[in-house]
Amino acid sequence: MPVEPFLVDQRITAQSRYFAGKTGSRFFTALRDHKKILGVRCAACNQVLWPPRSTCFKCFSPLSDSDLVEIGPHGTLLTFTRVHYREAVHPKKAPFIYGIIALDGADTGMAHFLDQVDFETLAPGLRVTAVFAEKRNADILDIAYFKPLP
Amino acid sequence: MPEPELIEIPMTVDVPYRFSAGHFMGRFLTELRDNGTFFGIRCPRCGRVQMPPRVVCAVCHVPNTDWVKLGLEGTLAGFTIMYLPLTDPTTGKPHEPPFAYGSVRLDGSDSVVDHLLHVTPEVAHIWVGMRLRAVLRPQKDRIGDLSDIRYFEPLENQQKPEPKPSRKEPSDAR
Repeated sequence: MPVEPFLVDQRITAQSRYFAGKTGSRFFTALRDHKKILGVRCAACNQVLWPPRSTCFKCFSPLSDSDLVEIGPHGTLLTFTRVHYREAVHPKKAPFIYGIIALDGADTGMAHFLDQVDFETLAPGLRVTAVFAEKRNADILDIAYFKPLP
Repeated sequence: MPEPELIEIPMTVDVPYRFSAGHFMGRFLTELRDNGTFFGIRCPRCGRVQMPPRVVCAVCHVPNTDWVKLGLEGTLAGFTIMYLPLTDPTTGKPHEPPFAYGSVRLDGSDSVVDHLLHVTPEVAHIWVGMRLRAVLRPQKDRIGDLSDIRYFEPLENQQKPEPKPSRKEPSDAR
């Protein structure tokens, strides 16, 4: 008996709750309440890490609230990519651009969205600034995206 | 100084996906959807009947050839009572606990299919060897996946057998 090709549609939905930790909580509440971006300085390495963390990833020094420093909101684009296809793991509809941004005052970069930008002329080194969300919920999308500085 | 606020971030990963059921599962799911019947497949070497059907016998690794029509009734081979939600891959939604989940060996099959049991989710109401019947969706609602089986329900007039007396009394002695 010939058999028609048979496709089965299924889905996995995973709910989770991520605890930001003590240092991460300071980072998110500063974003939500004051539109301030915090990094953390490791005195031993003399480096400012973004996002802030309670242990230096290089020398494992414990870091505390007194090491938190305000950074940004301007920064420099280190690298970028454009997502061309829609996939469930991406929080935005394609096409959109991910950039890795080193904020002024920080020594590490972090991934975020780039918008209001021409992809064709995009290049590392572009000066960008954070655009904060109107309604902020103490998560990383309190920064809506980064846009080029005029 | 008041304790600083601690932040939790709820996250949902929702991944729809599509797979090709292939020749054998394709036929199995088509028969289930269109005719409400289960088909297994028999190994030409060892005679084992696998359900759901697969291309080769899991034991002999020879290609399976003979399709076998199975009934809707079977026997419970094992079960668990779930006290945590379980994501249903056909909908992505969790089943709310408590509920019973079991492995059912359909009559004429040598393998089991795992599915929901429509019983009171308590050990007093479930036992290995319990006779069960598959309850399917009405034909017009069937879509050709395992959710077309709504659940397995117990046949009427069954009693959980009395436990056999154990040879040794359980003891706390080490």
